[in-house]
Amino acid sequence: MTALVHLQHHYRQREQIAREWSESGGKVVGYMGVDVPEELLIAAGFFPLRITGDPAGSTMLADKYVGAAFNPIVRSMFNRLLDGTYGFLDHLIISNSSEAILRLFYCLREIKRLEPYPGLPDFYFFEFLHTKFRTSALYNRDRVAEFKNQLEQWIGKAITDEALREAITICNENRRLLQEMARLRTEAMPRLSGVDALQIIGASMLMPKTDHNKLLRKLLNEADQLPTRDGVRLFIEGSSPDHLQFYELVESGQATIVAEDSDWGNRYFDTLVDESIDPLDAITDQYHFKAPSPTKSTIQERVDYCVRKATEAKVDGVIFFILHSENPPSWDYPEQRNALEARGIPTLCLPWQPYALTDTEDLKTSIESFIQTLHPQKESSP
Amino acid sequence: MTETQATGDKQKIDKWRGRGGAKRLQSAVEAAAYQKQWFKQIQERVAGGEPCALVSADAPQEIFRTMDIPYVVNQWWAAVVSSRHKAPDYLDLLHEEGYHPDLCAYCSLPLASTLGPPLADAPWGGLPKISLVVTEVTCDSQLKIYGLWAKKYGIPFYAFERTVLVDPHPLNWWDKCRYEWEELYQPYRLDLLVEELKAFIRFLEVTTGKTFSESKFKRVMDLVNEQEEYSAKTRDLIAQTVPAPISIVDSIPSVMIPQWQRGTEWGVNAAKMFYKEVKDKVERGEAACQNEQIRLMWIGVGLWFNTSFYQYFQDRYGAVFVWSFYLGLAADGYARYGDDLLRTLAARYVSLTEGLHIPPWSAAWYADQARKHQIKGAVLLAPRGGCVGRGDAYFTKKALEEAGVPVFELGSDNVDPRTWNDEEIQQHLSEFLDTRVL
Repeated sequence: MTALVHLQHHYRQREQIAREWSESGGKVVGYMGVDVPEELLIAAGFFPLRITGDPAGSTMLADKYVGAAFNPIVRSMFNRLLDGTYGFLDHLIISNSSEAILRLFYCLREIKRLEPYPGLPDFYFFEFLHTKFRTSALYNRDRVAEFKNQLEQWIGKAITDEALREAITICNENRRLLQEMARLRTEAMPRLSGVDALQIIGASMLMPKTDHNKLLRKLLNEADQLPTRDGVRLFIEGSSPDHLQFYELVESGQATIVAEDSDWGNRYFDTLVDESIDPLDAITDQYHFKAPSPTKSTIQERVDYCVRKATEAKVDGVIFFILHSENPPSWDYPEQRNALEARGIPTLCLPWQPYALTDTEDLKTSIESFIQTLHPQKESSP
Repeated sequence: MTETQATGDKQKIDKWRGRGGAKRLQSAVEAAAYQKQWFKQIQERVAGGEPCALVSADAPQEIFRTMDIPYVVNQWWAAVVSSRHKAPDYLDLLHEEGYHPDLCAYCSLPLASTLGPPLADAPWGGLPKISLVVTEVTCDSQLKIYGLWAKKYGIPFYAFERTVLVDPHPLNWWDKCRYEWEELYQPYRLDLLVEELKAFIRFLEVTTGKTFSESKFKRVMDLVNEQEEYSAKTRDLIAQTVPAPISIVDSIPSVMIPQWQRGTEWGVNAAKMFYKEVKDKVERGEAACQNEQIRLMWIGVGLWFNTSFYQYFQDRYGAVFVWSFYLGLAADGYARYGDDLLRTLAARYVSLTEGLHIPPWSAAWYADQARKHQIKGAVLLAPRGGCVGRGDAYFTKKALEEAGVPVFELGSDNVDPRTWNDEEIQQHLSEFLDTRVL
């Protein structure tokens, strides 16, 4: 079996490896929000598992608390926390990386107090600030230290600097390997589809990092055997769906998604932790100054990032895929569009899309019409 | 939006544009007149070359007051624009640029009002030229909206962080916040806000050339406390008087215009006048509705395009809206006492959102206010796309209903009338009163 097939399998199995880890006596910590430092969880000996939604699943339990006009991915994750899907977790970490996740924390806090659910895991709130000021950086350093203390209480021993450095090394290696993988997508003739890439990247958040690194090395060794792709080169902006439906739809036509601005995609491994300084400071800096997320960055930061990434990937066009009720990418869109089009990069906006893409005919027509207007670049090269 | 839809919406607006509530109190009439005069002065000062800040409602206005820097509160201007029925025209300009129609209209309306060529009939002559913007990052849209101001107009933007109170206790924050705020709000959160305030003062000193006097700051802080103590007395008087001397149609202008002027002698005098006026009414036995049958509370921001909405229910049912969070928050949310002035100011703002919008504190406060005001029913407004209130309605409703107060949820925007159907909403609220309250 090729590494790619292995990785696809792990991505599609979602929490299966974590369940098996738990059943064999290992400790699993789930996390919500892109600010939760996986390095700390790994250094403490936990299996870090990113919580995901399920587009095919019900949201009935969550709807009772937050209603339908709420971020659909977070609503789905909320439902899965309430329905016991994550009952096997030893702990759950929730950060304030988006307003929707913060609101979910507020709800869970009240649910725990007033209407407890039996399958709801024990949860901890990890606060992290996002303005780039020194005051926020100092505040974050204290919160990261508090989080480390909490983990130490859970495991009953200190987390040493050596353990932290080792965890940083593992995670940085993962990021470097993913960056190499990303280059396979931006070659003149891409060797991976966007659908492949989402699965490769997503698997990193659903399985032990060391195992993921092994598979990535194998994948890179096998890269020459991967078939090349043609068609127009696309960049995806907007929301960060945690499933493949939209990418599958886009790539069912004559197009390859060569890069994206998504925390389930390239933004996940964009920046490395500094291995030459105090490990806790390095971790704090990494999560504070990492690539700008839609929820916690100004429009200008988002414009600059989008234009830089789309340009680097030498794309023929950009599709904005924005989920229903996702305000932050909706605010970013007009200025991002203007900046891209000023550089001659055509765009298509698909606003307020449902989480589960069940009726895709109109969507597919819009995408195909857009693709037909694009002209593939002949001299695309990394 | 299709042309047909747009035409339909326009017709709907032409047919029904909302109504303003009549001002029955002299304090409201005088406050409205003062407000116009104040705004004219701001326009003149800015025309004369002074800077002008646009600030969110939860930004520390006391700093501007101390430094005598003209400022306009974003939500206040949104209310003015909405009450002048200009929200649809301005919001269309924003939507034409590609911004989704369901994004927060309340916070983005002032920015929208600056797009396109100036209108001949712009509310109050339009916003003066804004030279800096300030907000607290209370939701994910704040960085976007204020950042857009900065980007479009090339002006500085200062953001205050919103920290999270992880374990709010005790629930009765309103009994503790005047003096016992250090423990209530957590020292490390106050430490951060104090540092942010110090940096903010330096930022204003550098960008505006104005100076900060500690003695003037002390005077401003004293005046705010004095004003808010009058608000508390007024609120308590309304709570304990049946039938209520006034409704929220009367109280909102009389409390909110002075609120935006807090830290001034005029603000104190206006709050005092409001209190005396209400007290006189109580002593004379005057009521908003002599036939008061039901006391209601309005939870949420003001319905600025239709402030007379409440009158219908008063006339038909003797149902009087006696409580809104505007007077309630003026009474409980602002007065703070302490020797360290900057830290005391931090204690005013550090948890304003938690008390107002985030359970358990918000829900506990609403339930307590309902009990003290002898409330029989509540209307909870949840604006579409808004940053406030999302996800907290369930627990607010639960706390109130467990306290014996049925809740009617109203999903409508508070500045944009295009989704408002007056007849239908009157009917639904009437059914609620008939079936759940009476």
